[in-house]
Amino acid sequence: MDVVARIQAGDVDAFETLYRQHSAKIYTLASRMAGSAEDGEDLLQEIFLQAYRKIGSFKGDSALGTWLYRLALNHCLDFVRSRQAKMNKLTETLDAETSYEPTARRDTPIARLDLERAVERLPEGCREAFVLHDVEGFDHKEVGELLGIAEGTSKSQVFKARLKLRGWLRGK
Amino acid sequence: MHPNDTTLNGYADGTLNAAERPGVDQHLAGCAACRETVDDLIEILRATGDLELREPPVRAWSRLERAIRMEREPRPSVGTTPGPARAGRSYATWLAAAAAVLIATAVGLRYAPGRRVEAPGAASAASASVSAGDAAQSIETELRQAESHYEKAIKGLETIANSEQGELDPRTAATLQKNLAVIDQAISESRAAVRAQPASEPAQQSLIDGFKTKIGLLQDTVALINEMRKGNEAGAARIASGLKQKGT
Repeated sequence: MDVVARIQAGDVDAFETLYRQHSAKIYTLASRMAGSAEDGEDLLQEIFLQAYRKIGSFKGDSALGTWLYRLALNHCLDFVRSRQAKMNKLTETLDAETSYEPTARRDTPIARLDLERAVERLPEGCREAFVLHDVEGFDHKEVGELLGIAEGTSKSQVFKARLKLRGWLRGK
Repeated sequence: MHPNDTTLNGYADGTLNAAERPGVDQHLAGCAACRETVDDLIEILRATGDLELREPPVRAWSRLERAIRMEREPRPSVGTTPGPARAGRSYATWLAAAAAVLIATAVGLRYAPGRRVEAPGAASAASASVSAGDAAQSIETELRQAESHYEKAIKGLETIANSEQGELDPRTAATLQKNLAVIDQAISESRAAVRAQPASEPAQQSLIDGFKTKIGLLQDTVALINEMRKGNEAGAARIASGLKQKGT
């Protein structure tokens, strides 16, 4: 019996196997898209619960991991859209706060942890475009479709994100 | 004239039109500032490519498993006395149910400091007229409501955790108490900061983060007790290890 059939039959151990295989990828996507580990954890929970409920609709047209990733991506995008609608005021504040000029030259390689933290600090909008394009590997056309923005806007948001990261990281 | 940001980004990530590259090459040869920008962008792209996957906290599976079992196993009807053979299992189910309700309360609450405040049911033109003072008042009201929900969830989890803490080994219980004391201190300091500066977003966020951290720790505790009741030593050890890591 394959893992899907076992999950559909109520085998929680089979679902745990699926969770162990894919949770890091989904959690990484969710926490980077949301910009916080706490929201990433909540999203992870919601995504896997949804997967558990919807596993019956998985037809095997794609790999199970691909189906799960797609479900996770849609869930993250819903979260981001819903939060963006609520947080326009905060975004404006962040944009204003983060547009400073760097003063020091970075002469050492960028540490992973510094980059992770800096990505979390990116303003709404350009963070999602950056994560989808530069981290997840979607092209600008796909990012535009996913975020509901023009391809050119995706480009400018990604560029804006890189330059902001540069501003923060070069001072290290 | 310097190339614009779009051109430098395109040069750095290799998407710049081949016809434009020689011109940029020529500029970079004589412009240290633009060369520095391009070097930094290339370094950011390299570092981004090296980012690794993050492992979710150990409690995440326990939370999920509880929620799944909640969906699968209907709650026993009120007044039903379980038979001896099922008593342990029913207790675990009750514990899971109680914790899941509290977790759902907490997860459903995503307080967003500084979010735009809209007058309930008002049209956009009307909400645009909400004064800054009213908005600040509404944010404070929302924070108080969020605080009250978190405190309720924490109280419920504490009741479960405290009544069953005898199940824990003394070392784990001590670690738990130590961690809770640190978190309580942080909450207390954040609360004082919010009282002093009600409109301060960092203070609001810090208070909410404190509540979330405490809820996370209490969730882990309930999950640990639950795993121990079920006799799942591997699951219990995984959660206990997470509790200890937080104490270091």
